Amino acid sequence: MTRIPLRPLARILDARKKGEDPDAIEKENRRLRHEEMRDRARLRAEGRLLVLAMMFFCAYAVIGARMGMLSASEPEEPRAQATGASIMASRADIVDRHGRVLATNMSTHSLYAHPQQMIEPGRAAERLAEIFPDLDAADMKRRFTDPRRKFLWIKKKLSPEQMQAVHDIGEPGLLFGPREMRLYPNGPVLSHVLGGSSFGAEGVHSAEVIGTAGIERFFDKDLRDPAREGTPLALSIDLTVQAAAEEVLYSGMKLMNAKGAAAVLMDVHTGEVISIVSLPDFDPNDRPAAPTKGSPSDSPLFNRAVQGVYELGSTFKIFAASQALQLGLMTPQTVIDTSPPFKVGGHRIGEFENHNYGAISVEEVIIKSSNRGTGKIALAIGAERQKDFLKSLGLFDPTPLEITEASGGRPLIPERWTDLSTVTISYGHGISTTPLHLATAYSAIANGGHTVKPTLLKQSGSQYRDVVLSEQVTRDALNMLRQVVSSDDGTASFGEVPGYKVGGKTGTADKPKEKGGGYYKDKVIATFAAVFPTDDPKYALVVTLDEPVETSGTKPRRTAGWTAVPVAAEMIRRVAPLLGLRPVYDTGQLDVTMSASD
Amino acid sequence: MTYLEYNVKTVPSGWRKVLAINWPIVLLLSAVACIGFLMLYSVAGGSWTPWAEPQMKRYVVGLAVMLVVGMVPIWFWRNMAVVFYALSFFLLVLVEFFGAIGMGAQRWIELGFMRLQPSELMKISLVVLLAAYYDWLPLSKTSRPLWVLIPIVIILAPTGLVLSQPDLGTALLLMIAGGLMMFLAGVHWLYFATVIGAGVGAVWGVFQSRGTDWQLLKDYQFRRIDTFLDPSSDPLGAGYHITQAKIAMGSGGWTGRGFMQGTQSRLNFLPEKHTDFIFNTLAEEFGFVGGFSLLVLYVLILVFCISAALQNRDRFSSLLILGIGLTFFLFYAVNMSMVMGLAPVVGVPLPLVSYGGSAMLVLMLAFGLVQSAHVHRPR
Repeated sequence: MTRIPLRPLARILDARKKGEDPDAIEKENRRLRHEEMRDRARLRAEGRLLVLAMMFFCAYAVIGARMGMLSASEPEEPRAQATGASIMASRADIVDRHGRVLATNMSTHSLYAHPQQMIEPGRAAERLAEIFPDLDAADMKRRFTDPRRKFLWIKKKLSPEQMQAVHDIGEPGLLFGPREMRLYPNGPVLSHVLGGSSFGAEGVHSAEVIGTAGIERFFDKDLRDPAREGTPLALSIDLTVQAAAEEVLYSGMKLMNAKGAAAVLMDVHTGEVISIVSLPDFDPNDRPAAPTKGSPSDSPLFNRAVQGVYELGSTFKIFAASQALQLGLMTPQTVIDTSPPFKVGGHRIGEFENHNYGAISVEEVIIKSSNRGTGKIALAIGAERQKDFLKSLGLFDPTPLEITEASGGRPLIPERWTDLSTVTISYGHGISTTPLHLATAYSAIANGGHTVKPTLLKQSGSQYRDVVLSEQVTRDALNMLRQVVSSDDGTASFGEVPGYKVGGKTGTADKPKEKGGGYYKDKVIATFAAVFPTDDPKYALVVTLDEPVETSGTKPRRTAGWTAVPVAAEMIRRVAPLLGLRPVYDTGQLDVTMSASD
Repeated sequence: MTYLEYNVKTVPSGWRKVLAINWPIVLLLSAVACIGFLMLYSVAGGSWTPWAEPQMKRYVVGLAVMLVVGMVPIWFWRNMAVVFYALSFFLLVLVEFFGAIGMGAQRWIELGFMRLQPSELMKISLVVLLAAYYDWLPLSKTSRPLWVLIPIVIILAPTGLVLSQPDLGTALLLMIAGGLMMFLAGVHWLYFATVIGAGVGAVWGVFQSRGTDWQLLKDYQFRRIDTFLDPSSDPLGAGYHITQAKIAMGSGGWTGRGFMQGTQSRLNFLPEKHTDFIFNTLAEEFGFVGGFSLLVLYVLILVFCISAALQNRDRFSSLLILGIGLTFFLFYAVNMSMVMGLAPVVGVPLPLVSYGGSAMLVLMLAFGLVQSAHVHRPR
């Protein structure tokens, strides 16, 4: 830039010549220079202002646009709670074999508090205590007014009525969060299989549902797997049969004054568990806490059918008889002397009520349930072969059932397998297994000699594994089992169900004392293991009663024939039609009916 | 004829000054204040107490203050610039020490009829002093490092005090307002480029350091920044205000729910509903139309300020008017951005509408200075 010279020599000299004051020129030039500078400063200031104006404009545009955007947005009223509202039905349903829902998810709300946003903490606490009687108003008020507390949970799950009631308090510090909860719509039905669930990681907007027991825990990962996309887990259970079985077993347990009961109904060809009951039971929607006192095996949480290992008594006799037939050691008509004395390893083997059946056939040993007879059969088989056979029936290992509790049902077998063991185990003493074990083993006899794997998952078609018995042997064995029920002096004559040919074997075992050795004289485990219909067996049923006593007679009766058998018979009567079995009557009976209609 | 003589001869005197006042600005300010009264009436549930009535009284006092200040010749205020700055600074120091001894983080001084926040006063004093400084400083020296350093010290000294109160929002506003004054005064743009570049670099460096051995901030400080940047990650804590505010705006829609029909604000869901977040009440009850109208009023005030500054050939006056207009703009821009979730929540009130005496009086005082500069402009 060219600055204006203050005293340009030419003009000064010129002015001097004219006699003018040269300072006036300087003054004027100084003013010009000032004005020029001012103008330049102004220009620059205006440039700066322009820049700022652009910035203002941008800020206005952004604010205005944002205002418009927000105004156009949907008024999402419960936004503070709903930011995580896109909870997916993350846990798959569990359904029975016909697709009926056993476990599903339900959207509900949790209730939490922001004490610092509360207007009337005292009133809120009182009203909450009215809505939820289990909450203490004074305690809640203390927590609401604690200045350090910013957040607290009040309820994990709310019913819609409760939610409305809390909403009506009108306290802004009480807030709801969406939450998916697990619902077992059938209540206590199938409680031990379903197990239960609880919340894992919890947030205000959602909570993780995790299985805590039963099949929920066993398949926890699979049920939660997003790749599953909510495909329900189909169980082998038939809900209708299950409900009927539970009802019958409950009545039977009460009638027989038992403190517990278990039942397993299994498809003999597939190993599918159609129904499995353990009583007493619980509601998986509100799973009780594990007991701290008393024996855990008396808790409602205890699954007697899968976890409970009991000496199942004479029900084992059919294994010895079948194996003897399979090995060709005997035929059903081979005569065995069952008269006393019969001593093994220094122990006398007795019979029920000291009966003496004399010399009877193998068939009759089963029908009359002779301990000495079975013991002699077992000795003929020998310890090693007996062990192998029982092991092949799966009686030595925990059942592979798909619930976490199954691994706890480990059978108790003698460490040293003496001759005495061989004899007592042949009639079900000295070995403890679960009712489920027994049902699985009976399935092998019923299906023509194939072992099956007990399962809770729906199968299609026969699931035979190894062949352990020939078909002829199983026919003979079924014939014996049938006679136990059908013959007048059979131990399970109460097991007869018109129209359904039931075969089975009773077992009554004294309960071992919890402390010290020996057995109770007046406490038994009464078991009836049945298969039906015997001419083409489809199902195996095991009913076990814990400490039953039947009191209709002059003295209390505890044998399975008087306790477990009638219960099992009633169960078959109820569930067989539900299973789609048609009653088949003998021609003789049919004649009577026809002549009556004449 | 000296500058003073020139001014005295040309500016109006006596009652003629009243005619020379920039009445459009007064009208606009009153219109905005009236909107404020209505909103305060509404958030109190249709009652003049406890907010609307005191606010109206304060506005009347403020209006009087503005007119009185406007009557006083602008050169008096220019000569007093250093005194005002010193006074404000002294009060800030006073609050710093006696507030701390008194009751924790106190930001105000009790004057009996109102609480004076020295930081509010400082915003005006700073603008006045910087305008006076650049009026005094020969233009050729504006960009010399030494002469740039002086205003930086002038800005940073009170900023540091305010920051230690702690009041991050006001401190930032002071810094931005001061920086804008320097920018308007014509300090070379390279200075600004350097500062902005360094700032961006520092922020970038801090974020880059995250998770490395030379991490510059503690983990919890990073988490706070995260919440700042994404309030929905903590909807119960820091994000709560914003979430509720957005609900209010969304439920207002285009035309609003109607006067006194807002639910978010009146049912106490909205925190600070009568102070920093009053704009949400407006947006909920009068919708986009209401909110945008207020924005237009603010824009008009700024436009009149800029036009007054451009008319004014006195460097001090024009810098002062622009500076005050800018501070005003910063206030509501930050407040609106804040309640609409565009900026983090820093406690900045909405000028003239939010309830609060100190802020309103100081604002009216500032516009008094604008009027004075306008009335006494060289003609």
